[in-house]
Amino acid sequence: MPEANADESSAFRVLVADDNEVAQRLCKRVLEKAGYPVLIAADGLQAVDIALRERPAMILMDVAMPGIDGLEAMRRIKVEIPGMPIVIASAHSMASDRERFLAAGADNVLSKPFRLADLISIVEQLASVR
Amino acid sequence: MPGSGPQSASRARVLVRRATPFAALAAVFAVQALASADPVVAFPLYLAVVLLVSLQQDRAESVTVAVVAAIAVLIRPLAATGQASEVAPAVLLAAVLVAVAIAMNELTRHSREAAAAAQHKVDEIAASEQRLRATLESAQVGLALAHLDGRWVEVNEPLAAMLGRSCDEVVHGSLGEIVIADDRAALEEGLALLRAGDVTRWDAAIHLARADGAEVAAAAFIARIPNAAAGGASLLVQLADISARSRAEQLRDCAGAVRQIIVTAVGLEGALPQLLGAFCDQLDWDVAQYWSPDADGQSMRARQASTVSDAPLEGFLHASRGLGVRSGAGLIGRVWRSGVVAAEEDIELNADYDRMVAAHSAGLRSVVAFAVIDGGEVIGVIELASEKVRSLQDDEVTMLATAGVEIGQFIRRTETAQALRRSEADHRAIYERSPIGIARISSGGELLEANPALLHMLEHDEETMRMSAWPDLMRAYDQAASRQRKAPFLAGITDGSSVQVRAATAAGSWLWLQLTATSIPDSSGRPEHVLVMVEDVTAVRETSDKLGEALEAQRDANANLEKIDHTKSEFLSIVSHEFRTALTGIQGFSELIRDGGLEADEVRAYGGYIFNDADRVNRLIGDMLDLDRMESGRMSMRTSDVDINDVLMEAISRAAPSAVSVEFKSDLDPRLPIVSGDRDRLIQVVSNLVNNAVKYSPEGGTVTLSSRVEGQYALVSVTDTGIGIPQDEIAHVFERFRRVRSGAAQSIPGTGLGLTIVKQIVEMHGGKIWVESAVGHGSSFHFTIPLTAEGVKALQLRHA
Repeated sequence: MPEANADESSAFRVLVADDNEVAQRLCKRVLEKAGYPVLIAADGLQAVDIALRERPAMILMDVAMPGIDGLEAMRRIKVEIPGMPIVIASAHSMASDRERFLAAGADNVLSKPFRLADLISIVEQLASVR
Repeated sequence: MPGSGPQSASRARVLVRRATPFAALAAVFAVQALASADPVVAFPLYLAVVLLVSLQQDRAESVTVAVVAAIAVLIRPLAATGQASEVAPAVLLAAVLVAVAIAMNELTRHSREAAAAAQHKVDEIAASEQRLRATLESAQVGLALAHLDGRWVEVNEPLAAMLGRSCDEVVHGSLGEIVIADDRAALEEGLALLRAGDVTRWDAAIHLARADGAEVAAAAFIARIPNAAAGGASLLVQLADISARSRAEQLRDCAGAVRQIIVTAVGLEGALPQLLGAFCDQLDWDVAQYWSPDADGQSMRARQASTVSDAPLEGFLHASRGLGVRSGAGLIGRVWRSGVVAAEEDIELNADYDRMVAAHSAGLRSVVAFAVIDGGEVIGVIELASEKVRSLQDDEVTMLATAGVEIGQFIRRTETAQALRRSEADHRAIYERSPIGIARISSGGELLEANPALLHMLEHDEETMRMSAWPDLMRAYDQAASRQRKAPFLAGITDGSSVQVRAATAAGSWLWLQLTATSIPDSSGRPEHVLVMVEDVTAVRETSDKLGEALEAQRDANANLEKIDHTKSEFLSIVSHEFRTALTGIQGFSELIRDGGLEADEVRAYGGYIFNDADRVNRLIGDMLDLDRMESGRMSMRTSDVDINDVLMEAISRAAPSAVSVEFKSDLDPRLPIVSGDRDRLIQVVSNLVNNAVKYSPEGGTVTLSSRVEGQYALVSVTDTGIGIPQDEIAHVFERFRRVRSGAAQSIPGTGLGLTIVKQIVEMHGGKIWVESAVGHGSSFHFTIPLTAEGVKALQLRHA
């Protein structure tokens, strides 16, 4: 797999917002290995800050986070950057939850736990669209 | 001839008459003078003139004529000779003439006076007779003269009119025949007394028998007057028609009797015969009958009759009873329809009467019928019949019509009174025998009367009921009414609204009573008193209460089930989230390891993540199972003597290695007695509280553990200087999965079951747990564990 040493501005940067360190490390390891630079936010407010400041190519957003939850963070970000692709990655993975997240404006939903290939394919799909 | 009469109206004739004697004297004087005769020769002629004048004329005239004649006698001798011897005879002659005139005049005056006196007497007698006749003829009372034996001398017109005859007819009869048979004996007796001269006057109220068969009440006055001419006496008879006056008295008496009967009567049945009897007695009718309509109102029938005792009227009454009179038909029917008094003054003359034959054979002649009226409606007819022919006068009509109205009102009153009595009796029966309690309450709220059912219901006598039980009920009513936003008892009850109240019987058992109040207005519409129906609805109420309770319980159970269901869903959602979060790391990193191509240190690190998350899953499962066992009472405690201080120190030593960012302090009471408990569980409690304190404390925070004796308990406190718990969350911290979600606390991982388990364990030891907290300042969790009896005793010894 190619190193993620491409130009920062042209690279497809992914913001991973998750309060769980294990999840952060897993996503970072997997996405960077796949060639996508990764930014990390540990809660909702951080996610909003980093998203607005760094303008990543997409956001992988957990829901159950301290402070403002992932859905609220997504709402705030979409107000500022309506076109920002946001994928909700949540352990709330009942069928109704998926509908709920999509209705709240998510571009896609990734249920935890996930196959590493699913994570990569979601990101790749968004990257290819761009 | 002069002086043909003193009454002559003609002045001329008077003059002629007066002048005539002087002319005669002048003629004699002239003849004497022409003949130159001696006055003595002419003297007889002068004398004749004076005599004639004296007989016819009054004194002054006679004397004047005599003087003139004397002058005529004297003139010649005086004028011719003037000698006394010749004058003296002439003077004598003249004196004779005057004396004769005076004497003659006196004589005629006397005779004339005697004649005038005789004439006057005759005139007076004639005038007296004239006056007597005029008096007889013009008197308004009946006047008559009769011989002592009763034969009439003279009868005036009014007397004859009273008897309905002419004067001539009457004069041919006798005094004894003018009265009705009943009065004849009395009259004859009076006449006998007058005849004998024992009395000079006799008076009596009698009944005259009229030619038409009717009778007229009269006042008779008979005086014996002496008759000088016959040497005997006559009877002066005066009769005054007092029928009008006596009828007025009769009518007044009858009206009075009717009123008396009405006022004193108890009911119509008793009064009616009396009323009919009063008409017979007071107004002198032979039969009186009361007619009233049938139930269907189609015809009237004779209901009641009254007759004078000896009248043979059974046939007539029988005919009356058999008759059904329709409105408008016959005498009764006409009165029924019109309400106006109607009469047949003589049914022999009018074949229209409906019981003609029966009346005829009963000898009845007159009938009158009048309506018994109430409120403009004819409710009956009273018929009066008499064997005499009677003419009905206006005042009698008025009296009968008035009596009809009074009787009508009386009948209506008695019917109303009867209806009232029946109604009263009904109500009394209802009141006395009703299974429902009934109380009659004054407008001031006092109990006036309570029926047997009410007394029985509350097991009180009337006095206790009045003095205490009823006021209690009133208070209960007002309270219940106020709860239902209804007016209190005395503030206007008109709607018969009900309230249910609780009331104790004298025996102390409690009843549910339904009170329904209805105000009874007086005639002016103001509430006069209040009726309260009291029903014992205890059984109904208890049944409905039980039903209500069952329903309530069912609702609660349903709500619980819903809550449980909701809690279960929430639990599942949270548990699955926790598991999946842990599994995310386990699955992801194990997939990385499985796919290979990793550095050795990477594999080690990932293995560590996997282990931690697997451990977390394990703990979660352990907590859930623990809690389930505790809640279902299936967890057993391994009880032994436990030193709380030792438990606290062990918890600190377990937590300290992984909690380097906080400082631990302990404030332990060294004399805390040993408690009885499950040591491992108590360590679990304290460790959980300590871990929480550490988790929610910032870097450099302090966690303080303290122990002391509080009454018969050991009190343990775990205090941190952490973020604190918001006030609205404090009540929920011990509920499962109630992790504090807001603010910084959300970043703290946990199963959400720890405090729930802690609370269960403390309570299993017989203690209590609670929390004090202030956001930004930290929280204190306190729990108590009861001391053992020995521990308490040891403590007391120590203090002693």
